[in-house]
Amino acid sequence: MIRMLLRVLGHEYARPVRRTVALMTMTAVAEGLSCALLVPVLRALFGSTPADAWPWLVAFGAAVAVYAVLRYRSDLSGFLVGTTLLRGMYHRLGDHLARLPVGWYDARRVGEVSVLAGQGVLQAMSVIAHLLAPFVSACVTPLTIVAVMIAFNWQLGLAALAAAPVVAAIQIWAGRSTAAADAERHDRDREAAGRVVEYLQAQPMLRVGGRTAERFRLLDDSLRGLQRAYRRTLLSALPGVVGLTLTVQAVFTVLLVLGAHLALGGSAGAAEVLSILVLAARCADPLLVLSDIAGKIRGARSELAGLDAVLRTEPLPEAPEPVRPVGRGLEFESVVFRHGRRTVIDGLSLSVPEGERLAVVGPSGAGKSTLLQLIARFYDVDAGVVRVGGADVRAIGTEVLMEQIAIVFQEVYLFDGTIEENVRLGRPDAGEAEVRAAAAAARLDEVIERLPGGWAANVGEGGALLSGGERQRVSIARALLKNAPIVLLDEVTSALDPVNEAAVHEGIERLMAGRTVVMVAHRMRTVRRADRIVFLDGGRIVEEGGHDELLRRGGRYADFWNVSMAPAASE
Amino acid sequence: MARLLRPYGWGFAAVVILQVIGAVAGLAPLLAVVELGRTLLSPGPVDHGHVWTVVTAGAAGLFVRLLFTAASSGIGHVLDGRVQLSFRRRLAAHLGRVPIGWFSHRRTGELAKVVGDDVSAVHPFIAHTPGELVSAFVVPLVSLIYLFGVDWRLTLVTLIPVVAAVALVPLMMTPSRLREQKQFDAAMGRIASSVVEFVQGIAVVKAFGGSGRAHRRFVTAVDDFVGVFLRMVRGIAGIGAGMQVALSPPFVLLVVLTGGAALITSGGLAPADLLPFLLLGLGLTAPVAALGHGFDETQAARRAVGRIRDVLGVPPLPEPAHPVVPRGHRVELRGVRFGYERVGREECEPARTPGPIELVDERRRREEHEDDHEVLRGIDLVLEPGTVTAIVGPSGSGKSTLAQLLPRFFDPTRGSVVLGGADLREIGSRELYRTVSFVFQDVRLLRASVADNIALAVPQAGRDDVVRAARLANIHDRILELPRGYETVIGEETGLSGGEAQRISLARALLADAPVLVLDEATSFADPQTEQAVRRALTTLGGDRTVLVIAHRPETVADADAVVVLKDGAIAEYGRPAELLARNGAFAAFWRSHRPAAADETGTPGGVRREEESR
Repeated sequence: MIRMLLRVLGHEYARPVRRTVALMTMTAVAEGLSCALLVPVLRALFGSTPADAWPWLVAFGAAVAVYAVLRYRSDLSGFLVGTTLLRGMYHRLGDHLARLPVGWYDARRVGEVSVLAGQGVLQAMSVIAHLLAPFVSACVTPLTIVAVMIAFNWQLGLAALAAAPVVAAIQIWAGRSTAAADAERHDRDREAAGRVVEYLQAQPMLRVGGRTAERFRLLDDSLRGLQRAYRRTLLSALPGVVGLTLTVQAVFTVLLVLGAHLALGGSAGAAEVLSILVLAARCADPLLVLSDIAGKIRGARSELAGLDAVLRTEPLPEAPEPVRPVGRGLEFESVVFRHGRRTVIDGLSLSVPEGERLAVVGPSGAGKSTLLQLIARFYDVDAGVVRVGGADVRAIGTEVLMEQIAIVFQEVYLFDGTIEENVRLGRPDAGEAEVRAAAAAARLDEVIERLPGGWAANVGEGGALLSGGERQRVSIARALLKNAPIVLLDEVTSALDPVNEAAVHEGIERLMAGRTVVMVAHRMRTVRRADRIVFLDGGRIVEEGGHDELLRRGGRYADFWNVSMAPAASE
Repeated sequence: MARLLRPYGWGFAAVVILQVIGAVAGLAPLLAVVELGRTLLSPGPVDHGHVWTVVTAGAAGLFVRLLFTAASSGIGHVLDGRVQLSFRRRLAAHLGRVPIGWFSHRRTGELAKVVGDDVSAVHPFIAHTPGELVSAFVVPLVSLIYLFGVDWRLTLVTLIPVVAAVALVPLMMTPSRLREQKQFDAAMGRIASSVVEFVQGIAVVKAFGGSGRAHRRFVTAVDDFVGVFLRMVRGIAGIGAGMQVALSPPFVLLVVLTGGAALITSGGLAPADLLPFLLLGLGLTAPVAALGHGFDETQAARRAVGRIRDVLGVPPLPEPAHPVVPRGHRVELRGVRFGYERVGREECEPARTPGPIELVDERRRREEHEDDHEVLRGIDLVLEPGTVTAIVGPSGSGKSTLAQLLPRFFDPTRGSVVLGGADLREIGSRELYRTVSFVFQDVRLLRASVADNIALAVPQAGRDDVVRAARLANIHDRILELPRGYETVIGEETGLSGGEAQRISLARALLADAPVLVLDEATSFADPQTEQAVRRALTTLGGDRTVLVIAHRPETVADADAVVVLKDGAIAEYGRPAELLARNGAFAAFWRSHRPAAADETGTPGGVRREEESR
């Protein structure tokens, strides 16, 4: 468990963790040893001169004081180390999530990762802060006491010691038998969390579909699945718990019988037998807690395994010796890209010279957006090369690559924060005037004027408090502010209402001026701004050329526009 | 909460009774040791028979304890599973009835946490607390009565550790501690929501991320959390350790032995009578220690229950007591006014998830919203069956809000929306959704098969109907290209582009075949196929339907029977497209703003367009 924790976290945390464990072990030993002083005290009290007990009692007091100090130190150390680990884990997870390819994030992952990062990390880390100390004490204290028993009466001591291997065996066996059920429960947990997020986000649609709560079968199934899995975990844990209790109680019974036998036979003093029985009664309870703690630790371990799996997912490799791109041209050379089993880009070659505006046109699912994403290296190609400024994107450092590129996405996502924060994301060190200018160019200024709070208006999670058009303007302003030499536009103006569309086009025009532009376009008006057009279908370039030239050719491109121009009635 | 738990009353009673019997039986072996001690230490010959009876009784007590506590815990946990399911279902049902507007003020991550983690966190209340709490009182009580019978002075001494530990409890409940707890929860919630945001906005993070600054919100949330947590730990660690030491066996033994030694040396106590105090004294502290162990969890559970109750306390859109069935599907808006901030104030208030610091922010944000004007101010509009009405207007003019009143995502603040002669508030929700269907601009597809996604509103629809709707929505061919056709699970086996998702959603509405259709014309993902599908749907649907479309394209507007021009939440113009064009007002301006675009395209084989304009 600890080893896994350290692997997930990195070994710089090994020392403090070991120190904490050592401290906790010492505390537990101190607890056991101080209890041992019970024997001489009782021997004196039950003997003929009870006053002999006083020196022993003073020693007892000193031992308890030592134990108290150790306890405080080890508790605090546990909390501090736990917190340090927690922070380290969160940071590592955050950094890692940012480096994973965009392709890794599908709908299910949102729920999964949010459970993992929320409850999961905390649960994994609470092992150190909350569970480790009781666990160590539940193991070590009884062992210490057993050692003391052996010292005073070897028969009773050995009888107690016999419990140790049985308890250990039961723990290990219970761990194995519950592992499968635990894993299933965690899967169900994630599944349900994903469904809950889906249910909440799809509320409007579900209501119109008349599907709320029980009538939304997908959610209800996952909730019931969760309950079933929970019940199975309980059933699988039952033999372990009962077995442990049974063992501990059987041993206590044996000690009781053996103690009575020895005392009656006169081979052991009454005081010894009685004090050993008191100590044995004391041992029983922490041992019973053991199964409880072990169960929790197992839970934490599977969370940790989940974290480990995420952290071990390979991010896109960084070049060891990054190359700087020279110029702003773009090039695709026999690029193949597959998403799952589907080939999205199929042996595509394309060159966009510096300063050219290229429009990408084609039916849905032709791979247009993917083309843009490959330039920004959201994914790595399966074959071929994508080059920016003559350099393979895989050889360019991520930061350098991102500095070259400004993207306006099809789906605009804004972070929960103010409008200003969202615009500034483009270039955090931009001056006030630059931010205002970018906003004006994207016609965001009028939106800001209308919103209560202006620049400081909150946009809500994902930008939910803004309309689609308003969100798109924020993202254009963001790209304008970034001022990068290569601009990727994913059908930008379509989300703006027509009244303002023309005005925003000026902003876009400014964004494109003097830059290399690749734009995915659905509207003829956008396409006509391009120097050159490629028509994409099934991940291949079907036609290529100027707008008028392609129309004259009367091929796929011309058909495409004919479809979009034809009145509905004629179909 | 109590109402939710009532059906499980007998189960809880069984848990408690079994637990108490088990715990009391657990005293038997301890008393056996005591009795053994008395027999062994008593002067004179030892009665062997008595010793063996005592030993047998102790062993029997152990066995009873095992049996009953195991049964109690088993029942408790099974009960817990059921209660959790019923809580989650109840929450889901409730969230399915609160006004849609409420969601835009909540973070999905926090709400999901209530349904998921918070319900799980109630676990100790259900599975552990009832039994443990009762046995924590009963066992010490029985022990105390017995000990008082033996020697009252030493009994008081034995109570010292318990009293010391209990005295420390208030220190853990001081206002500043409780405040730290709340901050802890708020910080935790922020991590959850910043993670959701972080993961959903990953593309933006990547495009602007560079040095990792884009996920600084996540990192900030983490650092805040760690700060809060450390403060909390520093406050609690000393007290916690103090309590633990006070309840620990060495300390208890030390106290009892010291008291006992004093009494024995002064001749006030028989040595054998010390034994029950040593054995039961430890037993006195054990339940208190168990409570202490579960203290964090119990506190967390209490806070979780608070959050669950908050969510359940959000007033849902009221359901009519005597639902009216609409006659026909003529839609009328009568003097409709609507302002979001009212929703914000009245319905956000009860859900007090955020901590005190965040609350201040929240309040400020809301106050800022208050001078926000109404989104709709006095709309009177009739949508006749068999007609298509198009709404146009600049962004922020209230188009989407108006459209969302029809499926009753909100209730108007004043005025009424009338469907087939009945106020929407009087129509049962099931009846309403059978009548009104909606195609959203912001399309959400479920992680389910394509067929299930299309048949969302009509789960019993046959494959033929699903395919027909898909064909009509221009998506059938694309679906056949998917790995498993209509059985392909969206989001797992395939992703769809925005335009494709839009068409699935259109197919969904076509299949639902409701007499009233509200269509928010896709802007962002519109590709020619989707536009064509929308227009074809509008013309084929036609018939007797009442159609309201938020239009962005002149082509759509031109096809409409009536146009509403919305400006700042009021109707600026209303009429047939051609009439309005002739009037040369706001609509004509809207139309003209498209002219440059259309003019650009006159060189294209779009001669049709001119034909359209001359209608």
